[in-house]
Amino acid sequence: MTNLFSQRLKKHLSEMARYLRYVFNDHFVIALMFMVGGLGLGYSNGLKQLSVDVWWAPYTVVAVLTVILQLGRLATLMEDADVVFLLPREHSMHAYLTKSKTYSAVMAGLIQLLGWFILIPFVRVTNPISWPMLIGLLVIQLVLKYGLMEREVVLRYQYQHRLIRNGLIFKVILPVAIIALAYLVNVWLGLLLAIIFTVGMHAISYKRWQGVQIDWKRAIQLENNRMLGIYRFFNLFTNVPSITGSVKRRRYLDFVLARIQPTCANTYRYLFSRGILRGSEFSNLYLRLTLLGMALLIFIDQQWLVLALAVLFIYLIGFQLIPFYFHFDDNVFTHLYPVTEKQKIAGFNRTTTIALVATAILFSLTVLIARLDWQTAALSLVIELVEIFLLVRFYMPTRLRKK
Amino acid sequence: MRGDYVIMTDNKLLRNEVTILTLEISHLVGGYSQIPVLKDISFDVRDGELVGLIGLNGAGKSTTINHIIGLLTPQKGIIKINGVTIKDDNQSYKQQIAYIPEMPILYQELTLREHINLTIMAYGLDEKDAWQKADKLLKTFRLENKLDWFPANFSKGMKQKVMIVCAFVTDAPLMIIDEPFLGLDPLAVHDLLSLIEERKHEGASVLMSTHALDTAEKYCDRFVLLHDGQVKIEGSLAELQEALPGVGESLDDIYMSVTKAGQE
Repeated sequence: MTNLFSQRLKKHLSEMARYLRYVFNDHFVIALMFMVGGLGLGYSNGLKQLSVDVWWAPYTVVAVLTVILQLGRLATLMEDADVVFLLPREHSMHAYLTKSKTYSAVMAGLIQLLGWFILIPFVRVTNPISWPMLIGLLVIQLVLKYGLMEREVVLRYQYQHRLIRNGLIFKVILPVAIIALAYLVNVWLGLLLAIIFTVGMHAISYKRWQGVQIDWKRAIQLENNRMLGIYRFFNLFTNVPSITGSVKRRRYLDFVLARIQPTCANTYRYLFSRGILRGSEFSNLYLRLTLLGMALLIFIDQQWLVLALAVLFIYLIGFQLIPFYFHFDDNVFTHLYPVTEKQKIAGFNRTTTIALVATAILFSLTVLIARLDWQTAALSLVIELVEIFLLVRFYMPTRLRKK
Repeated sequence: MRGDYVIMTDNKLLRNEVTILTLEISHLVGGYSQIPVLKDISFDVRDGELVGLIGLNGAGKSTTINHIIGLLTPQKGIIKINGVTIKDDNQSYKQQIAYIPEMPILYQELTLREHINLTIMAYGLDEKDAWQKADKLLKTFRLENKLDWFPANFSKGMKQKVMIVCAFVTDAPLMIIDEPFLGLDPLAVHDLLSLIEERKHEGASVLMSTHALDTAEKYCDRFVLLHDGQVKIEGSLAELQEALPGVGESLDDIYMSVTKAGQE
């Protein structure tokens, strides 16, 4: 059983590594560096205005520590089929869950460590406590997190007492009380309570294993939810096969669709336009980049930078829309329709052109309103339109045929 | 594209004296990888005929169908629909096929109405005629008040019915139906069979893969029994009975004896 977990963990980690490579692509790393730099600068500037006598500082520390404590979930890596295939081995699932708990606690512990580390400057400025006490706070944080992991294990078993299911008490009220006691009154007393909390949790978890069955459905459901969250995050950067995205009717956009004539040549325009407007996958991407571009355009002064940024964002959006061409390929019928690939490319180009022109118009309107300068607005519109023409006419067709 | 279709019908008229073959498969070798699943398969479906494609799981039924609809390229052999191969003219080859897959496949972003519209557009059908047909079909399958629903809200059976409606809206001369009865309620099974019957009388040909042997026995004109990637036996029920005397009268008996013999 412990072997099974190790195997799954290995598979899981290599999958995560694969997706992380997409997350930390060049664009994003640069953006991230700016973001971290900006936030760091803001943080250190903010600290300069604080002093020991700020009354709200201790409460903030307690609140932040409690929030950090919520981060990191139990990764059981259970799969749908487990309820059938592992059911006969239920008793030895304890070893499996113990391993998963250890792994999850280490990961969550690293998050606690990072959070604590970021918080140190704030604590040092507002409350001159000694280093041993600071270390004590970290230990409390780690012990509590371990206790919460034990509780997560308990929740994977049936027949638990109603009380232990209460997240408010166990995840918020008790931790807040212990952390507040530690920070405001006495660190060592807090540590003692945290240890009692965690030992208690461990005892309950141990008893669970000996007495009752695993709640398979719930355990698998919880794990699926966790994975869904992770996949959703990765899906912002790349296509995740298990995430199909949701579909919304968006009736108010029907006027755009009504303009498409129902002829054979328009088959793919009909399909692509609906896919992009109603499917969350590409409409979200498009909206995010368009809004981000508009927001940046508001805050930029230099004319050349405005133009460069508009061009960059049009390119980014166009580039990100390319995979949409293959969006319907796993539907057999797109291969069966007596429609040529040329018509498919034409339909796709038409759809992306309209989407990009809409962005271009929004960008120049933003420039016009933010700068009250019609010359720059007009210039950016012209440049963007030329760019769209080049993109759709020359760049995209080569990219679409490549696959 | 409609022009092509008219010419094709003319062709058929010219060859009227000979037996008319809608679908002609000769010496097909193929599969998903280098190792062929189908080993030299030949059979045909004549005009106005319902042919049942039967065989065990993994016998090669779906592989055969995937070759016919052009998802797979044959390693050897030729598939012709009304004399056209996919290489000759991809568009007019596909124009002639309507397909109902085993598992319903729908566009998540399109409503039922838009699925029908898309089919009409893709096959270049006349909008008014096609919608008239569609309305009738929708009524038959009790979907007429669900035109604005998304696939996510349909049950498995309803999705299957949507596939049937979309396939029968086209006037394709060859219908490929893969295991159609799973998940359909008895009334819908009945309606589907009478639709097929009707389409046959209009001259269309149907190739249907199925495990429902008693239904197949009642409705199919001929049978092709696949086993381990080969055509074990082919013909009408009478012909099968004649070829295998003493194993029993029903298709079920014949099927059992052939597959068991194949396993030994």
